[in-house]
Amino acid sequence: MSGKKKRMRLPQADDHLDLVPLIDCVFLILLFFMLVGRLSTDQRTEQITVPPTKTAVKFDAEKAHWRREVINIFGATQKTDNGDSSPPRNTIRIGTKSFSQTGINDYTGYQQIRAILDKIYDQADKYPDTKVAGLMLPKVIIELRADSDTEYRVVQEVQQMLTDTMDLTTMQPKKNFDVKTLKAFVNLDFTTRKTTDRL
Amino acid sequence: MSGNDGDMDEGRLDLVPMIDCIMLLLLFFMMTTKFTAEEKAISSLLPTDKGQGAASAQKKDPPPTVNICIYPEGMTKGYQPSEYAKQMDTVPRLRGAFANAQLRIGGREPMFITGKDLNSKGGKPMEDEVEMIHSYIFDELAKFEKPGESRDKQNDIVINCFSGLSWKFALIAYDAVRSYEAKAGNIKWTGNPDELATARAVSFAPPRIRDYTPNELGNELYEIIHTK
Repeated sequence: MSGKKKRMRLPQADDHLDLVPLIDCVFLILLFFMLVGRLSTDQRTEQITVPPTKTAVKFDAEKAHWRREVINIFGATQKTDNGDSSPPRNTIRIGTKSFSQTGINDYTGYQQIRAILDKIYDQADKYPDTKVAGLMLPKVIIELRADSDTEYRVVQEVQQMLTDTMDLTTMQPKKNFDVKTLKAFVNLDFTTRKTTDRL
Repeated sequence: MSGNDGDMDEGRLDLVPMIDCIMLLLLFFMMTTKFTAEEKAISSLLPTDKGQGAASAQKKDPPPTVNICIYPEGMTKGYQPSEYAKQMDTVPRLRGAFANAQLRIGGREPMFITGKDLNSKGGKPMEDEVEMIHSYIFDELAKFEKPGESRDKQNDIVINCFSGLSWKFALIAYDAVRSYEAKAGNIKWTGNPDELATARAVSFAPPRIRDYTPNELGNELYEIIHTK
C-alpha cells in the first residue's frame, strides 16, 4: 500500500530532477559539434557549384595569418528548369555587395569592386615583389569562387582587375603608370572541389 | 523487504528524458543536415612582369610559350572570322552556356570535352572525363619538355580559352597542367602561394577583345582556333 501511494503522489518541491540523462545528451551534442562543425564565414555561404579538379587541396592553414577575401562569381549552374536564377549570371559579389554588368561595355561594376579592393590593399601588410622593383604586394589571398558555368571572360577580367594594370573606364591596359602606385593582388585561390567528392 | 524495493525504485535510471532529447536531436539533424563536399582550392600566382598590362615594361621578343587552346565543339580551322561568328549560333548550349568544348595543345589534334560530365554531382563519368583531359595534356606537354631544365625554365604555358566558354573548361586545363608539373618536378602542392614562385609559369591569356559583339567574338574564335 505504502508503495502505491508513493508512485501516485504529485511531484513535490523537494523532489529533485535527475539531470544525468540531460547532461549525457548535452555532452553528446557538444562532442558532435566539436567534431563535425565547421566555422563558416559569411563570404562563402553562397550556393555556388564550383568546378571539379584533381589537384585541389584544402585551404592552406599555414597562411591563416594572411587575409583572405572571397570574390563570388555566379554562373548558370544554379538555374532552375524554368531558366531563372538569382542572382543573374556573371554577377560578382565581394563581401555583401553584388555587382552586375548591364551591357557589353559597362565596367562600372569593376570600378566599384576596385574601390573596395583599394581599401583592402591599404589596410593589408605588404611585401616587395621579387620580379618588379618598387611593386609592393599585399599579404592577401583573393579566393575566386566562380561557378562552373561562369563565362571565362568574367573570371579573366576579374584577374586583370586584380593586377590593377587596367584602365577600368575602357578596360584597356594602363599606360605610363608608376609601378609604385599599383595596388596589385597576385595571390589567388581558385575555389574547386575534388573529382572524388560527391555533391 | 519492502524498504529494499523502495531503494531499488529510486536507484533506477529514468530514461524518458534522454529518449526525449535523442528524439529531438534526431529530428533536428534530419531537418537541417545538408551533405555538401568541402570546398578546396588551387593556388595561382598572377604574373606581374608578363602579359597584357604587365607592371613592368614588356619585352619585345616574348619567350616561346606552349599554348593550350580551348574553343567550342565542332569548330575547325580554315574559316573566316565572320563564318565563325555564324557557326556560334549552331553550337549546342546547356542553360545558356556552350555545352561542350575542344581542347588543343600546339598544332596537335584537339580532344573533345563533354561539359555535362564536369557539372555532374561526381561519380564515374566525371572522374573518367577528368582523367581523359589529364591524360591528353600529360602526353602533349611531355613532347614540349626541355630535358635537364628546371621547372621554372621550361616554356611558359598559356591557357587561351574562348571568352564565351564556361570557366570549368579553363580550370580543368589549369588543373591538368599543375598535375603534370607535380609529376615532372616531383612537387607536392600544398596550397601555399610561395611554392608557385619557383614553379613553371602558367597563366590565363588576357582577353583578346573588349567588345563582345558577334563580329568580335568571331575574330577571337579565329585567333584561338589558329593559335599554335
